[in-house]
Amino acid sequence: MKRNLIMLGIALGLVSAVAQAGDISGKISAAQGASVVYLDKAAGKASPAPTQHFSLDQRSLSFQPHVLVIPVGGTVDFTNSDSVAHNVFWPAISGNRKLSHNLGTWPQGEKRSYTFDSPGVVPLLCNVHSEMSGYIIVSPTPYYALADAAGNFTIPNVPDGSYTVTVWHEGAKPVSKPITVNGSAKLDMSF
Amino acid sequence: MMHFQRFLAAAGFIAVVIALTLLVPRPSDAIPAFSRQYQTSCSTCHLDFPKLNDFGKAFKDAGFKFPKDDQTFLKLPPVMLGAPAQKDLWPNTIWPGTIPGMPPIGLRMNNFFQVSGRHANDFNQLNPAGTPVGTVGGSPYVPRTDFETGLFSIFTAGNFGSGIAFWVDDDISVAGDNSAGGLGDGYLKFVDISRFVHLPKDSLSLRAGRFELDLPFTQARSINLSSYDIYDEANVGAMNSIVPLQQFVNNQFGFADVANGLELSGGHQYGGYHYSIAVVNQNTSGISQSANTSTFVPSATGGANGGLGFASDSNFKDIYSRLSYRFNLERDSASRKAVQAAGATGPRDHTYLSLGSYYFYGRSVQRLAGVLIDNTTPAVVTAREPFYRVGGDFSFNFRTFNLFGLYMYGHDRNQLPIDANGNVIVLPITTSSPLPVGFISGRSATFDGGFLQADYLALPWIMLIGRYDAVNSTADRINGLAMAQNTSFAVPFPATRNRITPGVQILIHANIKAGFEYQIRPKQSVTFATNSSGFPVALAPFRSNAATVGLEWVY
Ligand SMILES: [Cu+2]
Repeated sequence: MKRNLIMLGIALGLVSAVAQAGDISGKISAAQGASVVYLDKAAGKASPAPTQHFSLDQRSLSFQPHVLVIPVGGTVDFTNSDSVAHNVFWPAISGNRKLSHNLGTWPQGEKRSYTFDSPGVVPLLCNVHSEMSGYIIVSPTPYYALADAAGNFTIPNVPDGSYTVTVWHEGAKPVSKPITVNGSAKLDMSF
Repeated sequence: MMHFQRFLAAAGFIAVVIALTLLVPRPSDAIPAFSRQYQTSCSTCHLDFPKLNDFGKAFKDAGFKFPKDDQTFLKLPPVMLGAPAQKDLWPNTIWPGTIPGMPPIGLRMNNFFQVSGRHANDFNQLNPAGTPVGTVGGSPYVPRTDFETGLFSIFTAGNFGSGIAFWVDDDISVAGDNSAGGLGDGYLKFVDISRFVHLPKDSLSLRAGRFELDLPFTQARSINLSSYDIYDEANVGAMNSIVPLQQFVNNQFGFADVANGLELSGGHQYGGYHYSIAVVNQNTSGISQSANTSTFVPSATGGANGGLGFASDSNFKDIYSRLSYRFNLERDSASRKAVQAAGATGPRDHTYLSLGSYYFYGRSVQRLAGVLIDNTTPAVVTAREPFYRVGGDFSFNFRTFNLFGLYMYGHDRNQLPIDANGNVIVLPITTSSPLPVGFISGRSATFDGGFLQADYLALPWIMLIGRYDAVNSTADRINGLAMAQNTSFAVPFPATRNRITPGVQILIHANIKAGFEYQIRPKQSVTFATNSSGFPVALAPFRSNAATVGLEWVY
């Protein structure tokens, strides 16, 4: 939360002089599964790499949380809370196999960190427990949100302007569409 | 006399059945029940199911539980049979336990297709001329190709809390081709009872019921389509007119036979020492006493006088013991001691060398209708023939390559029946033979052999298998067709039955496996002539190779 506030603070500092800002909110309807909404490009500003780490745990033979959203440049601490050995690897990022990586294996209570410099969808796998599945969505901008269980989401304080918004839903093809923020914006979608 | 002939006929039949089971692929189990309980993949515990990886071995050692923090992995919480605090009230209350939240049930089905060598029917030359195949006394006709139904079996296993594990598997196919419905294993295992007697953790566990002996390499849960020849070797003595060797040994015990009894064990299968010692029923005749319908004999099936019947055919209880040590070879000591080694790209099985030895001791019993020394008063004469099987085994593993082997030496004392004059009765006993009054020791019936196998998991779904089986026996006629009477195949020819069996197994789904193996056997003969020096010469040697394809699924 604090992290978001800092980033927003920076973002606001950059844009407040020239523009108003508003929220993008709405509802992503789907039978099941998590949804992530993010803006592809926020014109005219480079988002600084976040300093605080995100964390993704391996617990009870599962990745927790199942879906994690981070801004590009974000670092994730992968912990192992289980008494069995796990592994974390991803065969590609958004289908680009050149970005595959294997973090190896580490014992209970320890962690490995990785900084994601390329935006995209990172499908997390464990080569010991082939049923384990998780996702990290690396958002190209600091404007992103993970929808709640009901599908509701809010991306706060988006500067007024025109953007491309992308909605990722587990198991579906990501959908991108233009959106204009003028004070606020609504986005409803169903999968 | 008639009894003995019938006994011989029965023994011959059993030998043929044993020979046939060589051709019929054996059961192997993976446990989807656990997959459901923990909502995890087969590959958590298996390499190429049912072969266990190191984690699977630890899971089994722990009593079908995760070695640590089991409750945090169970996705289906167990049902409490009493609050844990009830333990404080004991003995005024029942000691509580748990049962699995859902009955942990796995099911398994398989089908096969077999191609037999062109010469498979040459064995019919063992029958007297003019005997039609497929009739009583005639060998069955072996078609070149055959579709075979395997088995449909149910298995259930898990843990009742307090370290009490259970396992039951049963082939429920009672009709159809190859249906051999029957109980496999069924036991309770009290894991780590060492904790009650202040011994090191996991140094003592107790297993009670019906189980496969603690074999160096399991047969019941083997990945191979055909079983290990040495595990099926019944020690049947030589009785053949063209050789002087006479052996009155008819021990139907097979090493992979399921055993009823008790077993103490300790240590771990994934590293360090492991031992077991078991006391089990003796059943060397291969005939279950529960089939006894005498009104004087309570039947196990409750058919006669109620009560319990008998599964054993001897007072003596056999003893089996095993000791092994596995050296995990990782340099890093933390990794070496862990259940799985820490590889650069994820946990994997250890690089290890395991060495073991085993010993089985029993006393085979043969009862004959005979007479007292007066040569007139009828009496049952009993030959007790102590036997043992002893051997060693090794297993070397590097990544997904596993080379392992086993050697066995089998020895049965040979008690030859003698008549009232003290003369050895010429075998085989016929209606014109004198009645036996007792026995004297002859040359022991021995055999040895083993197998060497290399498994290589080339990809997570492709297992390549190379295997060599050998059995050397003074009495072993062709490929286990022992006891076929009056055949001229005998000792002067290589009595070895050996084969090379390459195979490949492919997981076409996580729970569906297609397996293939090709059994290559040396040339053999069933007909012989005598050469000018008086020695028998093999005629028309042939091979009896076979190819088998299996399709197996578990769910
Ligand atoms: Cu894992």
